[in-house]
Amino acid sequence: MSERITIKQIPLEELVITPGSACQGCGAALAARLAFKALGPNTIRHSIPACPDNVTRTPTSGGEFEAGGDHVTGTWRALKALGREDVQVVGFYGDGGVYDIGFQSISGAAIRNENVFIICKNNEAYMNTGGQVSGATPQLAMTTTTPVGPMSRGKPNSRKNTPMIFAMHGVPYVATASVAFPTDLIAKIQYGKGIKGFKFLDILSPCPTGWRFEPNKTIEVARLAVQTGFWPLYEIIDGRKFRLTYKPRELKPVAEYLKLQGRFRHLTEEEIKEIQRDITDYWERLLKLDEIGEILL
Amino acid sequence: MEHKNFEVMTGNKACAWGVKLSRVQVASIYPVTPQTTIGEYIAEFIAKGELNCELVNAEGELSTQAIVKAASRVGARTFVCTSGPGQLYMHHPMHGTSSGRLPVVMATVHRGNKGMQPDHTDLMSQLWTGWIQWYCENNQEVLDSVIMAYRTAEDKRVRLPIAIGYDGYILSYTSEPVEIPDQAMVDEFLPPYEPIPNILPDKWAEAQTRRGAGMMGDFMSGGADPQAAWRIHHEAILNSKGVIKEVNEEFGKRFGRKYGNGLVEEYRTDDAEAVIVAMGTIASTARVAIDRMRSEGKPVGLVKLKTFVPFPTEDFQELGKRTRAIGMIDRNVCLGLGGAGFGELRRALYDLEERPRILGFYAGLAGAEVRVRDIEKMAEKTLKAARGEKVEPIIEWAKLGGGE
Ligand code: SF4
Repeated sequence: MSERITIKQIPLEELVITPGSACQGCGAALAARLAFKALGPNTIRHSIPACPDNVTRTPTSGGEFEAGGDHVTGTWRALKALGREDVQVVGFYGDGGVYDIGFQSISGAAIRNENVFIICKNNEAYMNTGGQVSGATPQLAMTTTTPVGPMSRGKPNSRKNTPMIFAMHGVPYVATASVAFPTDLIAKIQYGKGIKGFKFLDILSPCPTGWRFEPNKTIEVARLAVQTGFWPLYEIIDGRKFRLTYKPRELKPVAEYLKLQGRFRHLTEEEIKEIQRDITDYWERLLKLDEIGEILL
Repeated sequence: MEHKNFEVMTGNKACAWGVKLSRVQVASIYPVTPQTTIGEYIAEFIAKGELNCELVNAEGELSTQAIVKAASRVGARTFVCTSGPGQLYMHHPMHGTSSGRLPVVMATVHRGNKGMQPDHTDLMSQLWTGWIQWYCENNQEVLDSVIMAYRTAEDKRVRLPIAIGYDGYILSYTSEPVEIPDQAMVDEFLPPYEPIPNILPDKWAEAQTRRGAGMMGDFMSGGADPQAAWRIHHEAILNSKGVIKEVNEEFGKRFGRKYGNGLVEEYRTDDAEAVIVAMGTIASTARVAIDRMRSEGKPVGLVKLKTFVPFPTEDFQELGKRTRAIGMIDRNVCLGLGGAGFGELRRALYDLEERPRILGFYAGLAGAEVRVRDIEKMAEKTLKAARGEKVEPIIEWAKLGGGE
């Protein structure tokens, strides 16, 4: 399990490209900044179409949107063949490439337990192409392809629980993180870095443009996602050992999180209550797992 | 006499032997009939400790291609193989492999799109992906071509992926005696692969200054001209003809076998009034047909077309000057357009002052059998055309399997 660190222990070295191609207040750009501080320069970063894309100064390779799991696989196997196992292979991908079109290839890499780190900068939609719905988009969120109108209430179905699906591949390490909890995020990467095999980190990365909030509110939104239980922080080892890494005595009401964002502006009180029921229910199940320290499957 | 090591083996085993002798470092496989046993043979070589190679059992052909692409970029010698529908599924990353100028070698064990049986539509459907394409006639050629392909693909003047096609079942699952070249001689012929640029973190800065900032795609970039990437890639393929010929010559010198000039192999064309052109296993059948007709005093010859991309335009133009009619046998059809070989041949010869007549024959599609008698009929028709007789139609679906 990851070990707690303090803000002072966050590495100083910056590996991101500044100014990059990101909008003001981009959560994903911050995710890259934090993640690559922990990963260090001896890294080959893979990219697939994602928003923002050109983020770090590390050697970069990549290609097809649907083949993220394959790019890291090929790179890792070649490094192994060349006797360069010291180099880390990191796929820094968006939720579209991880949850949807590239899911098969990443599942393949996971089940073969390739020695790679897949990091998802999860902004919960296809922001690169202007905010279309993805498998990571939460229920009832408005996107450009799940608009709100007399016949539609936004996204009709719930998010894909991708971290849990990868955990069920039995891989060494799966975790969630948030840009508002940088020490937790970095500790998880540092821990994953030390493990040989497949690692997956899903970072909730608020997108002011697509989620419709002011760029100076990114951290507030990201923090509330965690404090309301909308985006719980946890880690899973070998698809079995489970630990919540952030456990408030009481969750804040999810309405506080939803009301900050334009994509949920249309929600009725009844709909917010329904979301609250789902969130509370899932949080209680996670608390039970945390208590026994295991996923019993 | 020096000792030669022969073994009776299937085309797929010959292919796997080519991989082994080439000391491939990363191979990626996914089962699809009739290609599957290549991966099995490679896995066996590795299991027995005879080949030191990372073998990835991937989750589909799109993945197998993307895996070797990434591995090649890091600097490993890579191999991938496919067949029919798998080839079609691989289409997207094939563009990236060639655009990245990565010397990946792939075997395509032909299976058509309308059933399990072979024709060349699988690989022909990839004509726009920017790969060099070779078509093989027998199992020995399959093995030798794999070795020659790495030497060609990795040549600094080429840096392009090569697809080696051979007919499913007819070769993939049929055993023939094949000479296994000596490993030490192959090692001499095929030096280790060096990536350009090198993306290892300790070589990255150097790679950046040499190539300019950014991703591997910049290998292709030509500054402000948006068309430059296409032009550079196109010219690179055209320019590979010389290297293909060179490699074929040198292989011949070292191993005692070569395949025409590497692009085409002419058979009894010197004084031929009419010539037929065949690819893959049909070339073997055609050779017998030509011999039979020659014994009857009919001046016909054969061109075996090995390198389809880049197309040996110059060789055909030279042939076109000394023959009166050419009959192209296409084991493929681009639906609504026609046979790929026929179209290319006409394009190649159109500008000759006096061009020969060019006839087209569709034969052997979906595994339809092509017999000696069938080819004799095609050659007879071509000879008639050469002698100025009226022949119709210019393009026909050959009547196959006897029947007359
Ligand atoms: S659209 Fe969203 S994810 Fe993309 S750069 Fe802007 S803030 Fe970041």
